[in-house]
Amino acid sequence: MIRTLLRLFTIQGSWNYERMLGVGFGVAEEPLLRDLDGAGTPERETTYRGAVARGAHFFNAHPYLCGLAVGAAARAEHDGVPPAQIERLRTALSGPLGSLGDSLVWAGWLPLTSGLALVAVALGFGWWGVVGFLIVYNIGHIALRFWALEAGWTHGLDVASALRHPALQRSGALVGPAMALAMGAALPLVAAYLGGAFAPAVRLILAAAVGLGVLLLRFRPLGLTGLRLGLVYAAIGLVLGWIWR
Amino acid sequence: MNELEVLLLVWGILVGLDLVSVPQVMIARPLVAGTVAGAMLGDLPTGLQIGIVFELFQHDILPMGAVRYPEYGPATVAAVSAAHATSGADGFGLGVIVGLVTAIIGGSSIHLMRRLNANAVRKAAPVLETGDIRTLVRVHVQSILRDAIRAAIVTSIGLWLANIVSTVMTGIVVMRGASGLVLAVAVTAGALAVAASGTLRLMRRPTLAWFAAGLLGGAAGVWFR
Repeated sequence: MIRTLLRLFTIQGSWNYERMLGVGFGVAEEPLLRDLDGAGTPERETTYRGAVARGAHFFNAHPYLCGLAVGAAARAEHDGVPPAQIERLRTALSGPLGSLGDSLVWAGWLPLTSGLALVAVALGFGWWGVVGFLIVYNIGHIALRFWALEAGWTHGLDVASALRHPALQRSGALVGPAMALAMGAALPLVAAYLGGAFAPAVRLILAAAVGLGVLLLRFRPLGLTGLRLGLVYAAIGLVLGWIWR
Repeated sequence: MNELEVLLLVWGILVGLDLVSVPQVMIARPLVAGTVAGAMLGDLPTGLQIGIVFELFQHDILPMGAVRYPEYGPATVAAVSAAHATSGADGFGLGVIVGLVTAIIGGSSIHLMRRLNANAVRKAAPVLETGDIRTLVRVHVQSILRDAIRAAIVTSIGLWLANIVSTVMTGIVVMRGASGLVLAVAVTAGALAVAASGTLRLMRRPTLAWFAAGLLGGAAGVWFR
């Protein structure tokens, strides 16, 4: 279990357009397959190799929740579930684990802890805010990876029941509003932190430029992205700076 | 390359690896990458300031599936280096520009690396289908090494750009007083707009009230400070 858990931290290392997370999945699952029934016999070798090959097939989900599928697939291999059914299990888990992880982590826990870190730095905690972010974020991150692997390994084919875990449901409901609150608080504080030296009139211009930027990104004309908006604003700043030098 | 640049390069590689490959503990977040780069340069305030700006830009990104996005980690390291070398308001704005350009290069390099990984997997597919664990681990480890090389190249380009900006561009652009301030206001406004827009995109209608409450709380915090 520990080896698989450690390997799960590298699961995206071989991410590619062919099998997506498949190769990383196979590498992470392999330690759990070493003690498949009939160790040392030619039959075992066939079972083991078949399971390893299946593990490396196409798979994609949220990296932190992949452990759930890895554990469940390995348990199913141990339980002698037919290969086709294991393939179906992987396919069935791919979508839900992706959307759950995306909403829970990428759109919830990560922006929440990032927002809190921004608040902390803007309030003068300096690098302690950054250290706090790393600690708090990774408590959630590592706990989720560990829980996912354990739940998958425990439930096997019945892994869908693990996704109905009350703590998971509660976290999902709490993390969205908490993220919105933290990021809402972070924006004015960070604006004051970065623009503290600006004169009041300049701050008004800053606020107007932010409002315009939000509006432009709302409608995203000509495929505008955040990066492109940043470059456009920087170019305008350079030109105006050149004129007023 | 001096010792400090080597140190920044190593940090850039670790940051680049953390984004996707290993271990995703979020040292790739610009706030972390920038703060550590600032500490390495003995200029923590610049590291924090630039880190915050790119952390705001990062809020535009949702790394779902095969989506393509700019890479702000090594870009932040390069931006801090540029801003530190070009001190003052000029340095801040020019540093952000270096970072934005490096972020584009980083994003494109990730796409290229994923295509190379796909080629490697395609080539190894017949052996992988036999369940050969050695080949499987080799393909995986080689992909991680490929990412490390990619991160090294991106960070090197970023540091090279930072070097150009601090030695050549400063003389050409010659931004003093108000002109440096204009650039600083422009990039700050861009970053704040991106973060606000990115956050709004993540929210469903019921959470808008929480966002508004946060905004009020943050504004009150600014007022009382």
